[in-house]
Amino acid sequence: MSSRLADLRELLKDEDVRSISRRYFISNGFDGTLTTIGIIVGSFLGGSQTSMEIVRVVAGGTVGLAASGVWSVWEIERAEKLAELKAVEEKMLTGLEGTRLHDRKGDARKINAAMSGLGPTIGMLLPIIPYFFVGVALSMFWATVAGVLIGVGLLFVFGAYMGNLSDQNWLVAGLRTGVVGLVVGGINIILPG
Amino acid sequence: MSSIRRLVIDLLKPNEIENVTFARTIADLDGVEGANVSLLESDKDVQNLKITIEGENIDSGVVTTAIEDLGGTVHSVDEVVCGDRMVEESSTHQD
Repeated sequence: MSSRLADLRELLKDEDVRSISRRYFISNGFDGTLTTIGIIVGSFLGGSQTSMEIVRVVAGGTVGLAASGVWSVWEIERAEKLAELKAVEEKMLTGLEGTRLHDRKGDARKINAAMSGLGPTIGMLLPIIPYFFVGVALSMFWATVAGVLIGVGLLFVFGAYMGNLSDQNWLVAGLRTGVVGLVVGGINIILPG
Repeated sequence: MSSIRRLVIDLLKPNEIENVTFARTIADLDGVEGANVSLLESDKDVQNLKITIEGENIDSGVVTTAIEDLGGTVHSVDEVVCGDRMVEESSTHQD
């Protein structure tokens, strides 16, 4: 058990595993956040839904996007990692089933899939938090504004993090991604109907 | 049966398993007091290593299993020293 944990810790330090997980996390986190911004702005403008109905719609979407994130990456990484393993097996002239490398690739796949599902979960659930305060401290309008701002803030954090990682100006990188949230909200406002 | 005191193994292993992992795993085996891992050759996917293992009572079978568990393949056992004392290779006229 402790050796399994040590392997997992070692794997979490592996730059390849971190890099792939990061991409899935950010990419799917982006999808989730922008989807939620679209849903909450659209629902508010529709005007017929209560706060808890909006929460339910977004929660349902979260299950869908998170499942898609986990499942697709699970299958993508299964294929990719099997192909990598086959390439090494050809050079080694032996099978690697049951070796540390085989287990390691399996564990890396689990981390990749988990991070891929975590991205949209965070991206979709955080912006709907204000809806729990509708009727207590916020109106539907302000809950929507707060939700969009949380979404924009999340997108900013994703961008700033990537900017920091690649030695770019994190503020500019964050603003570049954050503004997409405002654009999505804006497009929803000008949509006909 | 006399115990193995030194084992020099030539092996091939996947790049993804670090040389440090090989050295640590082998050095932690029972009967092994130390291990030296030297890189002989490297390409995109695999590396060729020479591992020198010393100890009071090295179990060659356990060493081979540990190498295979890590994904390595033993190419050859290049040197074995057995007995109560360490005997170095002696030079001959052919050398």
